[in-house]
Amino acid sequence: MYYYSIKKSFLISILSVIPFLGQAQEDDLLKELDNLNQNETRFELPAFKALQIGNLQSTKVVDKGDLYMVVAHRFGTIKNGIDDFFGLDQANTKIQLLYGLLPNLQVGISRDSYEKTYSGTAKYKLFKQSDRVPFNVSLYGSADMNSQLKKSVYPGLKTSDRFSYTAQILASRSFSEKLSLEVAPIFVRHNLQDLNFTKTLTHNQLLFGMGGRYKLSKRLSLNMDYAYNFSKNKNSLYKNPLTIGVDIETGGHVFQLLFTNSRSSNDSSFLTETTGDWSKGEISFGFNIVRVF
Amino acid sequence: MKTTNILIIFCFLLSLQLHAQKYFTRSGITQFEASEKTFEPIEALNITTTVILDANNGNIVSQVFMAGFQFKNALMQEHFNENYMDSYQYPKATFKGKLDNFSIVSLNANNSYDLNGVLTVKGFEKNIQTTVDVKVENDQIFISGSFFVSAKDFNIKIPSIVRDKIANQIQINIDYELIEKK
Repeated sequence: MYYYSIKKSFLISILSVIPFLGQAQEDDLLKELDNLNQNETRFELPAFKALQIGNLQSTKVVDKGDLYMVVAHRFGTIKNGIDDFFGLDQANTKIQLLYGLLPNLQVGISRDSYEKTYSGTAKYKLFKQSDRVPFNVSLYGSADMNSQLKKSVYPGLKTSDRFSYTAQILASRSFSEKLSLEVAPIFVRHNLQDLNFTKTLTHNQLLFGMGGRYKLSKRLSLNMDYAYNFSKNKNSLYKNPLTIGVDIETGGHVFQLLFTNSRSSNDSSFLTETTGDWSKGEISFGFNIVRVF
Repeated sequence: MKTTNILIIFCFLLSLQLHAQKYFTRSGITQFEASEKTFEPIEALNITTTVILDANNGNIVSQVFMAGFQFKNALMQEHFNENYMDSYQYPKATFKGKLDNFSIVSLNANNSYDLNGVLTVKGFEKNIQTTVDVKVENDQIFISGSFFVSAKDFNIKIPSIVRDKIANQIQINIDYELIEKK
């Protein structure tokens, strides 16, 4: 009995001394810290750096209160070579202002020299990729007004003829730190069409857009987007738009340098009124400069 | 026989008491400030810092999630996580240290203590030596203070184009209210 007690007291003494062992205890504290059930805030990788992949809209939405200015240039086709300096003599310029009106909602206005088009756009972020939702999903709508059409030239012109609209569902996912992909079912409505190009009346068109980016380094990525048109006539002179470019990010700016077969950067026009043919070298150089205020 | 029993009880009580003397918080405030004059302020606030202090020996540990730092400018916050801190790879920073000569018994009014320890950010360790104010009030322990680190300490690369806009010495302010851990 006596021996037993001694052993027990010895054991308990040892046990109660353990907490004094400094180093071990600090590590214990760290473990205890993990058990505190801290509100874990994980960083979800943004799928895209800019609001567009190239021409196609990305799922990114301007944060509330932020003002973005986007200056976009699309030059002429590069195939004429030095004669018009690879298309630089024929620039289309678009100036766009975007504002984060509400959390997850951006609105924008712009003017593009292509068909002297005024546009209004809105994008709403429905889901953000997280542990619970595997995709970023945004809804996007645009209305473009062609102000180039003159009533003196087309006496029967109605105001509504100037308008084109798009509605897009954008879904993207960042698969890894580097690779993000996006798919986008798109509806385009043109109130007026040029039958010389479209061959048949296709006022309502359905397209399937897709795009992606691959990060080459922290601030540089390779981007590509394409849209397949289900509705256009097979003799239509319009082509599906393909854009390949790079994003270069420097603090508050993103520079997007790109090659595309489209001369316009407005949604309804680049999606369904692209005339360039990649296989014939009818490619235009262009860039978007994105500045945040 | 009797002395053994007393010894057992004493040791038991001692160990109990030792274990009970821990203080903690889940809502500590950690702030950093890396602004340069004339440029946009670069600062962020984390209000979910966890801290545990062992009041018997002054050992203290704390942890922040990088994504928990709130900036005024959401884009700056995205760049902080994506480009500078690699928060996807290194989601948290930890501190492990000791308040020298800390004693809860002799602590009543305002007191300053030397705090020594190791701050780990992005897998890089940096020794921190500073002085913090410690105050006890209504069974709570208040710890506040500040110290400086630099981006180089943790191998955080700053591109030349923004180098002038980010301070070399980044000030880190801490403000923790700990309650007893039961």
